[in-house]
Amino acid sequence: MSERKPSRLALIGLIAAAVIGSAAFYLSRSGETSASEALDKAKASQKLQSLTELNGKAPDHRKLDVQTWNTAEGTKVLFVEAHELPMFDMRLIFAAGSSQDGDAPGLALLTNAMLNEGVAGKDVGAIAQGFEGLGADFGNGAYKDMAIASLRSLSAKDKREPALKLFAEVIGKPTFPADSLLRIKNQMLAGFEYQKQNPGKLASLELMNRLYGDHPYAHSSDGTANSVPAITQAQLRAFHEKAYAAGNVVIALVGDLSRVEAEAIAEQVSAALPKGPALPKIAQPTEPKASIGHIEFPSKQTNLLLAQLGIDRDDPDYAALSMGNQILGGGGFGTRLMSEVREKRGLTYGVYSGFTPMQVRGPFMINLQTRAEMSEGTLKLVQDVLADYLETGPTEKELDDAKRELAGSFPLSTASNADIVGQLGAIGFYNLPLSHLEEFMQQSQALTVEQVKAAMNKHLGTDKMVIVSAGPTVPQKPLPAPTDKPSEQPLGVPEH
Amino acid sequence: MNALARRAAGLLLSTVCLPLSALAADPQPTHEFTLDNGLKVVVREDHRAPVVVSQVWYKVGSSYETPGNTGLSHALEHMMFKGSEKVGPGEASLILRDLGAEENAFTSDDFTAYYQVLARDRLGVAFELEADRMASLRLPADEFAKEIEVIKEERRLRTDDKPMSKAYERFKAMAYPASGYHTPTIGWMADLERMKVEELRNWYQTWYVPNNATLVVVGDVTPDEVKALAQRYFGPIAKRDVPAAKKPLELAEPGERQITLHVQTQLPSLMLAFNVPSIATAEDKRLVNALRLISALLDGGYSGRIPTQLERGEELVSGGSSSYDAYTRGDSLFTLSASPNTQKHKTIAQAEAGLWKLLDQLKTTAPTAEELERVRAQVIAGLVYERDSITSQATAIGQLETVGLSWQLMDTELADLESVTPEDIQKAAKLYFTRERLSVAHVLPLETTHE
Repeated sequence: MSERKPSRLALIGLIAAAVIGSAAFYLSRSGETSASEALDKAKASQKLQSLTELNGKAPDHRKLDVQTWNTAEGTKVLFVEAHELPMFDMRLIFAAGSSQDGDAPGLALLTNAMLNEGVAGKDVGAIAQGFEGLGADFGNGAYKDMAIASLRSLSAKDKREPALKLFAEVIGKPTFPADSLLRIKNQMLAGFEYQKQNPGKLASLELMNRLYGDHPYAHSSDGTANSVPAITQAQLRAFHEKAYAAGNVVIALVGDLSRVEAEAIAEQVSAALPKGPALPKIAQPTEPKASIGHIEFPSKQTNLLLAQLGIDRDDPDYAALSMGNQILGGGGFGTRLMSEVREKRGLTYGVYSGFTPMQVRGPFMINLQTRAEMSEGTLKLVQDVLADYLETGPTEKELDDAKRELAGSFPLSTASNADIVGQLGAIGFYNLPLSHLEEFMQQSQALTVEQVKAAMNKHLGTDKMVIVSAGPTVPQKPLPAPTDKPSEQPLGVPEH
Repeated sequence: MNALARRAAGLLLSTVCLPLSALAADPQPTHEFTLDNGLKVVVREDHRAPVVVSQVWYKVGSSYETPGNTGLSHALEHMMFKGSEKVGPGEASLILRDLGAEENAFTSDDFTAYYQVLARDRLGVAFELEADRMASLRLPADEFAKEIEVIKEERRLRTDDKPMSKAYERFKAMAYPASGYHTPTIGWMADLERMKVEELRNWYQTWYVPNNATLVVVGDVTPDEVKALAQRYFGPIAKRDVPAAKKPLELAEPGERQITLHVQTQLPSLMLAFNVPSIATAEDKRLVNALRLISALLDGGYSGRIPTQLERGEELVSGGSSSYDAYTRGDSLFTLSASPNTQKHKTIAQAEAGLWKLLDQLKTTAPTAEELERVRAQVIAGLVYERDSITSQATAIGQLETVGLSWQLMDTELADLESVTPEDIQKAAKLYFTRERLSVAHVLPLETTHE
């Protein structure tokens, strides 16, 4: 889930987004799409020389030699050596997200945000000066399942060692000073005020409430204006003691380090943490009733969110659903949703669908914004597209194209150290096999349309949708007719 | 602190004189050449993974547009996806998607750029498609009729419904009284309503020629293979004269201006901007580099002066930032923004006074050696971290080239920043942070709320 972290970055984000003078306008790509016959058509017509010269094989990718071991304190480590750049990235992923908040919504996030506010002998300013004076980046963030602490540093010993020493203090022995706690709470309260001007955020809060009821995923990781002020230093200490324990974290490490250096770093970091086991996994949510809610908001556009419970990260249907969703609305332009809602009718700038697999069942969600006077018709259209897709499943063509796309994009997923550390983190946190990336590729490439259709229907139903809209109430207009000029027929038989 | 912020940071005292190669890692092999038709090509080798990014940058953007014709560059960017000689509307995107490429485009005041990130074996496809739309864009009227609606929707979504974006658009229009930088990149709604496809055709004919573009390639490639591919696909495109593009020069001291905006927000906020030169327009580059350092001192990380003094120290603001883009084609702005800490009952006036106190401090007191050393460490590290992403390397090269500078500035940046003295910082603060150069915006909640 993409909850924002509090403290200054969340607030600054709002201002900075507007202030960066040369902020570029990105185009979300567009396309007149009759799904993607494009490649075959182009190939068959031989208008593009470069295409006819491609050999059709899946491209090479960077091979990752993932090493793994456990530290003496019981922390799982995943490591990839990369000596090309004199730097390293370390990411600690604790099972310490807001699903562990208990009866204090916001506790996990506040604990995480307070890590770098004080250690013995150093206040927040001294800690910031410590990292920044070494050119090191400390990062943190808390979400539903995870809380993260990360360090990026130069690998030279005179930079690396002091950066690690400070990092170990920050994650292991934070003092949670009272003045910082008050200040950060105030910043979070200001954040709640800002949220009130963001209809998309309001809609998403309401949606999660309806979807998850009294399950721990229901509340925002930010907590609420009621819950946050009441959280005490003692609660932070207790939460840190149990949720930041060495047995409740995975360490992902990538960069210019030898195995011996990596082992020493992992030992140092895990020994600095409180001792203790992994926290028990949270319970699965119960299926909600279908419902529709509306938030009145004076915007020009209406936000539409449609959701139901999806899957957890261990689900054997993960590859099939991921592929199925890619064709429905996961891939940006050219998907069923984008084609019908944007390309043929110009009703939205973008419409996306996605599963968010989590420790227990995360949401499947479709989101878009559209003109207020078209919102009812657009909602109906989106529901029809989903219903039709579930009924007929993807075509062979769509599936083949999605497979080829996945194979082609695979090399991009491990190109940088930042990419790799993210992959390692997910593999470690969700206990996936080290060969997960390759296996996922193989599973995906072997899927049939029947398997994708069956998986989508097993997990999704048109009668299960929880819907929230946020926007003004205005007289509704009918949708424009689709302007789908029948595009030319494929010029030849697909050749692959 | 992100890569761009890091690039904006930097400094050193003259006490340390290590060779630069000892500070940052050696730059990667980078090559440049120009095709006969004037297309400039820059290739940076990065062999860590078998991937490559290709970017084409055109020297045209919203600062080139005239009143009544705002939004042309951005609208043309959208239409570049609507078909050229070899491909129909949207087809190029589908081909690239099917090959697993990431592609996108962006438009700003000074440039319009298109990029693809893809497995190295398919670079030729990116070149062929990009060359095709450089040479033979179709611009069908029916596609334009649909796309302009999408653009208006984008404007409602990103500007009209985003209170802070809307406020910044109005503020920027005021802060640049003379230059084309007052024009919002997406265009004013009235101009979008009356835009004609013929105007886009004219805009395309005028600016989209190889001698007005830069091709940047970063990744697992050799300069020879890129040269051969570039020659093959872009080489046949004819060169054509482009109008003289004049730098957007601004009044040095337009006079103090203030705007008060009431928007759909719960909390007030404040923006200050000073009219200042950029690297491309400054006579004394050291003063511009001093401004970059000032921005880093104020907001370069959690130990910067705004977070230290105003957010945590006096708890005057709940958030604050500074920003200075030195890499623009014309004169630039030095911008500060803040939200008063309403939980502590602080007002806009108090936040404004707090920002001025920091600016006055810069005029009267030289920064300490320790503070400068910290900023320097961040610059050195930032130069290494930036190289983890092929896209950020390519973007830095492309932007420098497109605003009339050289990509080689990337590699001399550290030395340039190191030549700045504490006295330069004071001098720049005194020269630039004056009332005559100042624009102020007070952004306030609507007087009657909807609740």
